[in-house]
Amino acid sequence: MTLLEALEKFVSECNQNQRLREMNRDWTRRIQLEPEDTGDLHYLVSDAGLVSAGRGPVENPDMLIQAKEAILTAVFSGQMTPTEPYNAGELLVKGHQDDIMRLDILSLLIWGE
Amino acid sequence: MQTGLSRVLPLRTAVSTSAGLASAAVNFLAAVEVAEYVGGQSAWLAILIAGCLIVFAGANFAELNGFLPSAAAIRVWIRRGVNDQVSMVSSFIYVLTVVFVIAADAFVLGRTFSRAVPGVPALIWIAALLGVVTWMNFRGIKVAGRVQDINAFVLLGTLTVFSLIVLARTPHLSRYHYWALGPHWFDAVALGIFIFAGFEWVTPLAEEFQDARAIPQGMFIALGCIAIAFGLFSLALTVVYPHAAALKSSLIPQLLVGMRALGPMGFWWMTIMTLTTAMTTFNGGLLTASRFLYALARERILPRWFARLNGRLVPANGLLALAGVSLVLAVVVYLTGQYTVLINAGAGVESLMYAMSSWLVISLRRREPARARPFHVLGYPVVPALMALLFVGLGVEALLTPARAGGIPWAVIFFGILFIAAVVYVRRVVPRIKASSRRPSSVGSLS
Repeated sequence: MTLLEALEKFVSECNQNQRLREMNRDWTRRIQLEPEDTGDLHYLVSDAGLVSAGRGPVENPDMLIQAKEAILTAVFSGQMTPTEPYNAGELLVKGHQDDIMRLDILSLLIWGE
Repeated sequence: MQTGLSRVLPLRTAVSTSAGLASAAVNFLAAVEVAEYVGGQSAWLAILIAGCLIVFAGANFAELNGFLPSAAAIRVWIRRGVNDQVSMVSSFIYVLTVVFVIAADAFVLGRTFSRAVPGVPALIWIAALLGVVTWMNFRGIKVAGRVQDINAFVLLGTLTVFSLIVLARTPHLSRYHYWALGPHWFDAVALGIFIFAGFEWVTPLAEEFQDARAIPQGMFIALGCIAIAFGLFSLALTVVYPHAAALKSSLIPQLLVGMRALGPMGFWWMTIMTLTTAMTTFNGGLLTASRFLYALARERILPRWFARLNGRLVPANGLLALAGVSLVLAVVVYLTGQYTVLINAGAGVESLMYAMSSWLVISLRRREPARARPFHVLGYPVVPALMALLFVGLGVEALLTPARAGGIPWAVIFFGILFIAAVVYVRRVVPRIKASSRRPSSVGSLS
């Protein structure tokens, strides 16, 4: 699975879940994903609860997430909780703590513990 | 195209967060304990020496923070610099110091309000105020960062100004001995560490700063402000009330300085400052520690019960557990009056953590030499190695310091029990939790 495919799967799960859309209706954020090894930028955008993803840079991001592409793919496809690579220092995030927590909660609600 | 982050924190917030997290209400009592060990007016010198030593610990945290800027901070650094088990044990003990400080601040708050408003029992104040902060956190109501910023600066400013007023009004200042630390100077410096403890808890905010220099600069400026404010406070206190043992029994040194500086207005101003300082300690401590427990539960180190969120996305179970433990500890400390155990244990744990930070600088330079470091400690490897040894000595000394001369050093017993419990948990329980965890698909845990 590529990172883009993992992101599209994540986006699909988010958008199909009415509860998540309600939860994120006041959450509009631009998230830049930076794979350290490939440099192939991707993005996630939450616009009032509707999430989209794609390849390339996003303007004026609210969060930056850096890790190896395999880790990003595993996290967004649900094969790994974000906390595991995060607490190992293999996934670095820049942004507001509330947004980082929100993204982790999204992963929790979609993929479970 | 603009690629910088849309929202970043300024240097001012790094300073106020570092100073605010270190400035707990129990620091007033810690200053008195330092004065007791040096025998009077040279307490300021012991605090200054402790502050100078902590600058070296600050340099360690600055290098580690630049090396791996993460909210998980020590959890990540120890895991990479030593191993996962040591990281887990250290993280558990470290987060427990947050509970110590909350309980100790609750004790100070109770004593202060039982003196200011004698009609209401102190335990009611403790339970009510801790309850209010827990409820606010539970409901997801956040105290704005700006409020915490203002409180930190107002507290340190108040201590400085009030102390200078007291010193200016005190006649014959030249009759005191300001440079005689006495035979227990090492104990005094070891306990002085507690006054600065927590300055490094700004490092988990690393992800919110764009400029890598902000956190090191913020920590060093905060250490200077704390040293000046609490150094002057201890000086004013010991000049006006030269008998530290008598002062210790009052348990309200900050109110005495307020009264001496501005009369009843000063008394009430310090009462309000004690309230706001304790409330920000409760708030910051519960918020940070409950998220830490949530992260450990997500990592399958704690039972998944701690990862349960309420409808407002607050880790409610972790929050309630922390508030409950803090309340029980606060009540026990209030009823027994053994607050010095918390100060000594807190000073000991922090000193040992500063020793660990020195070790981590050395270890990570060897393990990951190629990784970028925006900040480097001075005098590597000799200075960090010496600091590691010194902080181990200070930590052991603080833990072995009894509440009263010739008494039992309860802090070391307390620490020993916590350490053994953490080791047993990490070696026996964590593997079972990890082994039993399965990742179900499409199962949320929102309660």
